[in-house]
Amino acid sequence: MSDALSFEGVTFTYPDGARPALDAVDLAIDEGSFALAVGPTGSGKSTLLRAANGLVPQFTGGTFAGRVCVDGRDTLAHAPRRLADVVAFVPQDPGASFVLDRVEDELAYGMENLGVDPAHMRRRVEETLDLLDLADLRDRSVRTLSGGERQRVAIGAALAAGPRILVLDEPTSQLDPQGAEDVMAALQRLVHDHGLTVLLAEHRLERVAGWVDVAIGFDRGRVRSGTPADVIGHLAAGPPVTRLGRMLGWDPPPLTVRAARAAAASATPARLRSVAPAGNGDARGSVVAEVHGLHASYGETTVLRGLDLDVHEGEVLVVMGRNGAGKSTLLRVLAGIHEPAAGHVRVLGTRPRPGVDVALCPQEADELLFNDSVEHEVRATLAARGEAGGAGPWLAALGIAGLAAHHPRDLSAGQRLLVATAAVAATEAPLLALDEPTRGLDPGSKDRLVGFVRAHAIAGRAAIVATHDVELAAAVATRVMILAGGEVIADGDPGSVLGDSRVFAPQMTRVFGPGWLTPEQVAEALT
Amino acid sequence: MIDRRSVHPMAWIAWATSAGFVAFLTTDPVYLLLLWAVSWFVYASHRVDADHARSFRLFLTGAAVAVALRTALVFFGTVNAANTTFSFLEGLRLGTILVIFGTFNAVTDPFGLVRMAPRHFHEPALAAALALSIAPRTVAGVGRVRDAQRMRGIRIRGARALPALAVPVLERGMEEAHTLAESMDSRGHGAGRRSRYRPQPWTGRALLIAVTAVGAAATFLAASVGGWAVLHPQSSPIVWPEADPLLLAAVGLLATPGLVGRREA
Amino acid sequence: MTTRLELGLEPRSARPREAQTRERRTVLVPGMRIALLVVANVIGLLAFLWPFLLPSVAEHVAENHQGDGPWIVAALGAILLALLFLELGRGGLGPKTVALLGVLGAAMVALRLPGFVAGFSALFIVVLVAGNSFGPGFGFLLGCIGMFASGIFVGGLGPWLPFEMVAVGWVGAGAGLLPRGRSWRTRIAWLAAYGFASGYLYGLVMELWFWPFLTDGSALAWDPGGGAWINVRHYFGFYAVDGLAWDTFRAVGNVVLVVAIGRPVLAALDRAARRMQLRVV
Repeated sequence: MSDALSFEGVTFTYPDGARPALDAVDLAIDEGSFALAVGPTGSGKSTLLRAANGLVPQFTGGTFAGRVCVDGRDTLAHAPRRLADVVAFVPQDPGASFVLDRVEDELAYGMENLGVDPAHMRRRVEETLDLLDLADLRDRSVRTLSGGERQRVAIGAALAAGPRILVLDEPTSQLDPQGAEDVMAALQRLVHDHGLTVLLAEHRLERVAGWVDVAIGFDRGRVRSGTPADVIGHLAAGPPVTRLGRMLGWDPPPLTVRAARAAAASATPARLRSVAPAGNGDARGSVVAEVHGLHASYGETTVLRGLDLDVHEGEVLVVMGRNGAGKSTLLRVLAGIHEPAAGHVRVLGTRPRPGVDVALCPQEADELLFNDSVEHEVRATLAARGEAGGAGPWLAALGIAGLAAHHPRDLSAGQRLLVATAAVAATEAPLLALDEPTRGLDPGSKDRLVGFVRAHAIAGRAAIVATHDVELAAAVATRVMILAGGEVIADGDPGSVLGDSRVFAPQMTRVFGPGWLTPEQVAEALT
Repeated sequence: MIDRRSVHPMAWIAWATSAGFVAFLTTDPVYLLLLWAVSWFVYASHRVDADHARSFRLFLTGAAVAVALRTALVFFGTVNAANTTFSFLEGLRLGTILVIFGTFNAVTDPFGLVRMAPRHFHEPALAAALALSIAPRTVAGVGRVRDAQRMRGIRIRGARALPALAVPVLERGMEEAHTLAESMDSRGHGAGRRSRYRPQPWTGRALLIAVTAVGAAATFLAASVGGWAVLHPQSSPIVWPEADPLLLAAVGLLATPGLVGRREA
Repeated sequence: MTTRLELGLEPRSARPREAQTRERRTVLVPGMRIALLVVANVIGLLAFLWPFLLPSVAEHVAENHQGDGPWIVAALGAILLALLFLELGRGGLGPKTVALLGVLGAAMVALRLPGFVAGFSALFIVVLVAGNSFGPGFGFLLGCIGMFASGIFVGGLGPWLPFEMVAVGWVGAGAGLLPRGRSWRTRIAWLAAYGFASGYLYGLVMELWFWPFLTDGSALAWDPGGGAWINVRHYFGFYAVDGLAWDTFRAVGNVVLVVAIGRPVLAALDRAARRMQLRVV
């Protein structure tokens, strides 16, 4: 099999970069393979992806040495726009990458640029619609699509011009589990049934590890490629089953739930089942917030019907549900930003005052950041309260004290979320709310966030987190609530609620049964 | 849902230009008001969707305001019946042109026009279409940022707090521009050769619309050059405006788009 | 005025197989084309100033086609604008410029929605900062495109449109020609002063559009037979009564915005230009 994509001695430094983003990279990706780029943020994954179609260095500038060959063409000799017919690049935020309005037109845009003749274009568009299961959406405006649909349209738009190589930057980071499934399944079809070569970068390894056949590990610009088990197994982060396998010394560590069950079956199952899982702690103090008979709408639709809820000191309440279930609306009502249609909301006995009784960190952390240093960002919250203190304690609580002098926009997405959380926590509101904090979050930042939220609750405050990230819920919740159809359909301790659900069961539950939530918990029980 | 058999944009351009030309040539309120009615009729039959409907209402408001302002200009000089009438008629003419353009805007798809633009105008036209399509997101973004800042205790009141609103909105915009530029570059923007996907076919309907529109304009031009009808009613002294039947019929021709069929839902 | 949007890298000496960089497409406007740009702008200016010049033509126009004058000139203005665009876009603007024009144009559309407060509209701040950060060529393009798109969006179109586009374009271009000095204070001070001046200049130039409607012989009216100097006096008289107050709102509003958000916004734009390797001269 020939190489679809090859990198020879590639060293690249960004114009303002202190050290190379890619360091003597030698890599060959076979035609028809499904490859995954993994590694910590800033290790070079995005850079490599962009080097595959020439955006690096032609769009980004910088110093470039070595050679990248895509389908036989040298990326230095051809501008990215001239490689559009051999390699397709799909960015992380598809909504921002659309040029036109109708799905069908968006698919055709790339071909229009290349001067493909109309008859040919018609055929290709029809094929692409079928390939990605978009036929029903052809006349819709791209603005009205869901996250998963948008991602598939973006893929289709990049593919319609006929390239055989597809490069994707974190395609599932903005998606809920269902949307992510759809996209991965589509990519799988493209590789297995149509022989495309797919290269993607992803943090959420539990979603992709089982699908790919080649993994490329990144560490400070250097790469190491191999089988997924080999590369992912040696990463510090990884899906929960892999982390568990490493902790227990299983070799090779499993990548999927299925592999983990097989490995677990042969590793002292009896001992495990006899140990009762320890909960996440159920200390409940007095009531911090209560909601009775809440009816609320989002735009024209009623999303919450007759909701009752209370949050106690020391609790971390995780609210789950699919997109559109009303999680965000609930948080906004609690924060005092959104007026309920009916029912009442009380925080510490009064109607909630935003920023005082409840502080909410929005889905897009960037909506908060406006200062030129992390320190100033936290200080801005303090100043608004009339406090003159420093940002130190807040930064330390989130593990980002070292970033105090950095400009927030120079940080990674995960670090920016931690900064936003610090800025929100500095309000010292009794109830801290986080809306979908794990979008696009790298594992290191995720760990810091979990640590912070748990410490926050232990210190006697309360937190409420809306998410569809099951592993986050497993790690941080003292109580889990599931919303569907505007109502609460489950409410209780994490072990039973998550254990009882097929959709929201964490990997440990799927392997070992209800009540088992995190790899650390299982490993401790087994040793 | 766009009806793929809808009218070719060039036909609409012909219609709008002809109707605008007619309005330009006359200040007779009979013809002008009839043009308003015709425009509304065409709009009602062919408007694209709800967003366009809203912008048409804005155009109507703009037209009414233009008429009022232009009439009010008379206060800068001597105010008498003649001058007031003159000012009003000038305003009416201006308003008519606005209504015509509003109709044109409501029945065409801006991206369709962009793709038809000649090569050198393609990029500025695309930028304008992008601005129109991104604007709702920008407005929504401002609301979200304001809410987000409130939820951490910062209220946007007065000039001092403005950076907390302006910077996040702008940074988000810059990131989106970056993503958009990468995507456009990767999809071959500017590669030189261009073709058009599913160019709108010239149907009989479109042809009829274009031809009748040009006919209407030609009639008025003939009247203007040949002088066989009064296009600018006298204002000093004020006389009742005339309504030449041939010219009335010509304006009626401009209602053809509404007569040849509605846009399919 | 050099309009040069250079997208990408400075050419470096290429050491074989070690470091290679590519110079990207540039929208360079060499000598001959600059002349064309200047000529087009001058004609545009004359189109604005037509009531003062060519009195005999003006007189004739006034007699027979009193109301038509502005429309004819609007058509002229539109043709001029087309020429300017053709010239600026000659080398191809490129995806970065188009994307930035789209996003910043959207900001202008969004800011025009709340309407005008006695002449002041927040949309000016966008061209002021964008022109200052990305250069005069970009500033001009943004001014034109932003006024066009926002005109469509709010239904504010009419024969004044080509003039509005060019006038806001000039505001943006001027912002790009301001000196930057060595400190933020200097840069903001220059931009604030320019924001103040341009608030009046814009009004002065746009009021010219409908002033010729006044032909009633008063001391503020346009006198087709009077010659340039008399008309200039009449016009300033008219402006003092009509436009001065509104434009003061605009001028002051611009200064307030520049001082309030100029620095962080310019910093953000500069950073974006660096990140996107959009070096504008």
